[in-house]
Amino acid sequence: MKYVKIILQISVLFLFYYMGEAIQSAFSLFIPGSIIGMLLFFALLTFKLIRVEWVADGIDLLIKDMPIFFVPVTVGVVQYLDFFYGKGSLMIPLVMLSTFLIIGISGWVTSLLLKKEVDAHD
Amino acid sequence: MINIWNGVIFLIITIAVYTVTKRIYRKYSNPFTLPIFLTSGFFIILLGFSDLSYQSYMLGGQWIDLFLGPIVVALALPLYRQLDLIKKYARTIFIGIFAGSIIGIVTGIASAKMLGFEDWIIQSVAAKSVTTPVALSITDTAGGNLSFAAVFVMLAGISGAMFGPVIVRLLRIQHPVARGIGIGTASHAIGTSKALELGELDGAVSALSMTISAVVVSFLVPLFLSLL
Repeated sequence: MKYVKIILQISVLFLFYYMGEAIQSAFSLFIPGSIIGMLLFFALLTFKLIRVEWVADGIDLLIKDMPIFFVPVTVGVVQYLDFFYGKGSLMIPLVMLSTFLIIGISGWVTSLLLKKEVDAHD
Repeated sequence: MINIWNGVIFLIITIAVYTVTKRIYRKYSNPFTLPIFLTSGFFIILLGFSDLSYQSYMLGGQWIDLFLGPIVVALALPLYRQLDLIKKYARTIFIGIFAGSIIGIVTGIASAKMLGFEDWIIQSVAAKSVTTPVALSITDTAGGNLSFAAVFVMLAGISGAMFGPVIVRLLRIQHPVARGIGIGTASHAIGTSKALELGELDGAVSALSMTISAVVVSFLVPLFLSLL
């Protein structure tokens, strides 16, 4: 019975995903269908049309082991390993640098805003 | 029939290797023992040094891939659970995440373009700051290569988790909300597990930043790529 419940809860995610995909292609939107499905699901949770306890167990189970779902697509890079031997290796410091900039700038902007808020309260 | 059995065997091996690497990570937690890193590395080495092809691996892998889209939908639940925290810092959170997301997309796209990389590489790196399932959806819609996107996302996660705490210390970013937003916006789930080590609020804010930035980036990437 427990397994049936979990399978049904995970099916809800598939349902919203396919709805999102359908909306995306119907209106030729540039946002991925999965994100549309997620926003739809979020809206229904927020408006309490779907209760957390109806879906939580299955979803939490899936999220807990989420990384396993990224394995096949990541392994796909095995088809392009030559890329990283040549010029492609430049992409590695590039991604790292861009990542550090995000941390620095996001963090810095946020702390400025937080300080302002504190000053405003004083 | 043989194909189905090959697929089932690869599926079982994948789950087995993942389970073992999870144990390893629990014992020796660091960015290079992450289950996604070790498990993918295991199969890349296995396929790279044997006659097994990626196509034959994907006979099993294709079943796992089916979940990539629905997992994006699943992220709505943790986001919903953090609604109170989001409301408390709403304006700050959105401006901070927005600033970081734009910087990430622009520096990624512009530097790859300047180095003369082809369009499909640029399309694959544009969404590298967000959690893998969303980055894959964005990359797929943009026309990039999913495997490259996954590698860039992992790299952003691991490098941010390794150096994030140092960067926030050097820049004297001390507020947990600011640290969490920086690390979560740049390094998604891998960064979030590191942010949790800095503090509980850091981790919570990092987790919500990773989801909100994923939504923001999915709107911004198509816009910036259309400027190319």
